[in-house]
Amino acid sequence: MIEAALRLEKAGFRLQADFSIPEKGVTAVFGPSGCGKTSLLRAIAGLEPRATGSLSVNGQTWLSADSYLAIEKRGVGLVFQDPSLFGHLTVEENLLYGRKRLRNTEQMTDFNELVNSLGLQNLLSRRPAGLSGGEIQRVALGRALLAQPRLLLMDEPLSALDQEGRSKLMSILEEFLQQVDIPVLYVTHSSDEVARLADNILLMSAGSVTASGPLQQVLGAVDQEMSHSDTAFSVLEGSIARESVPGLSSVDCGEGICLRLPQSATDRATGSRARLRIRARDVSICLEQPRGSSILNILPAIVEELAAQQQGGSRLLRLRIGDNQILSLLSDYSVQQLNLQAGQAVYAQIKSASLI
Amino acid sequence: MLEADIAALFITLRLAVTTTVILLILGTPLAWWLARTASRARSLVEAVIALPLVLPPTVLGFYLLLAFSPDGPIGATTAALGLPSLAFSFWGLVLGSVIYSMPFVVQPLQNSFAALGSRPLEAAATLGAGPLDRFISVALPLSRRGYLTAAVLGFAHTLGEFGVVLMIGGNIPGATQVLSIAIYDHVEALEYSQAHWLAGGLLISSFLVLLVIYGTNRRVHLMRSA
Repeated sequence: MIEAALRLEKAGFRLQADFSIPEKGVTAVFGPSGCGKTSLLRAIAGLEPRATGSLSVNGQTWLSADSYLAIEKRGVGLVFQDPSLFGHLTVEENLLYGRKRLRNTEQMTDFNELVNSLGLQNLLSRRPAGLSGGEIQRVALGRALLAQPRLLLMDEPLSALDQEGRSKLMSILEEFLQQVDIPVLYVTHSSDEVARLADNILLMSAGSVTASGPLQQVLGAVDQEMSHSDTAFSVLEGSIARESVPGLSSVDCGEGICLRLPQSATDRATGSRARLRIRARDVSICLEQPRGSSILNILPAIVEELAAQQQGGSRLLRLRIGDNQILSLLSDYSVQQLNLQAGQAVYAQIKSASLI
Repeated sequence: MLEADIAALFITLRLAVTTTVILLILGTPLAWWLARTASRARSLVEAVIALPLVLPPTVLGFYLLLAFSPDGPIGATTAALGLPSLAFSFWGLVLGSVIYSMPFVVQPLQNSFAALGSRPLEAAATLGAGPLDRFISVALPLSRRGYLTAAVLGFAHTLGEFGVVLMIGGNIPGATQVLSIAIYDHVEALEYSQAHWLAGGLLISSFLVLLVIYGTNRRVHLMRSA
């Protein structure tokens, strides 16, 4: 359990972060650029000496009114946004830098196992100057984990990479972070990364934490600050179902409701866990089941909640589809025309969803 | 070569090596502070350190000579401690050279520490390295080029010193006579062949030292970026 009430004043900026996150799993710190995500991460790591308030990680106090645990004693693994490897050391020496400084050498991560799972075995004798951006970040992640941290912090680790490097590292992270048995805080402003990697989410806006909790729950809340922008999205969880039509893949979202996608998922086993990201603005509503539509997914849904506030003439609705909740962004006019009410049974037209 | 010339050569080398070593030791924390501090005192310290760059060496020598005198602050201190006077002594020359060559050592170190940025040190800190450990294991090796430049410039500048030495060390053969002054003496006495030996030797050896050092530096640099 990580409990924080952090304060930090910088020129023209004020961080005010009160939250708690569970002991395990990946927590995405999500928000627009400049909202204080990196400052929050740095304050947790101990890199912001002027941070005040309180912070405790798994029962150990890192910061309080009368104590400040030095960075090197906190045991945080930090993967920076930009390359941070030591240029005068080889990859292997970089990986071992933190490990050599460990006092308690029980329960150490197996070096070879970690090197293999991050695909670093052929890089060990190389120098950082010759590595690609993705390789550098993998070494940085390995180096952080080999120091046996109590908490892993990642600050937009994909942002300095090109498209190809990004998707490659993302696949590695997706698998890898599920196995890490310490809490992970992952800073990002990409909804795609949130949807793929996170179990929990911490929403930030203008220096404050506005919401935190399990991913589905936080994203499904129609009154969240981030939901008002037209970037609102939901994450739908299900399992890969047997394909009924060639070229399409189906995801079972519970109660026998299947979502079909125009992308092949033949590389995934039937029954394996699947996540879909659906933008709220891609979901529209019909009162009756439409016919002759080109839209693949027209699913029965229940309106659970309508946003009370109206912003820019549009409203957010939370719908239940099977075991899942998704958001829909409609114009205020449509909501009135259809006379939508909570509890009403409707059909949700999902224009596009991406399997991630 | 005359015996006095050989003595001058050794005094010069000893002076340059001693000065460079002292400056690297003193210059490291000073340059580190200058590169990292946000304090307003920084400009003041930087200006004081850079003074020898603009002042005629004789000005520095003159004030040092006054300070070394029995009534001066340094002279009174050495006398109170029962130490011999620094005026016209080798250690007086060392003190003068340390002040005179300081900007040539501190500035390259400062630039190199500043270029390091805070990222590698922050990474080292999160990996469990304390402040001194971070400096030794990360900052020092990453500042190798800065140290090389600082050492070369500090050494070379002390080697070529003339005015300060003449003012505070005098010209005592075998004690405070350095090469540059020996050459001057030979020229004054119209002993051009001896002057040639010393001047030419100094020219060639300085050139060779610089060539070797910059060559090594380049290889290190190429290896790094390869």
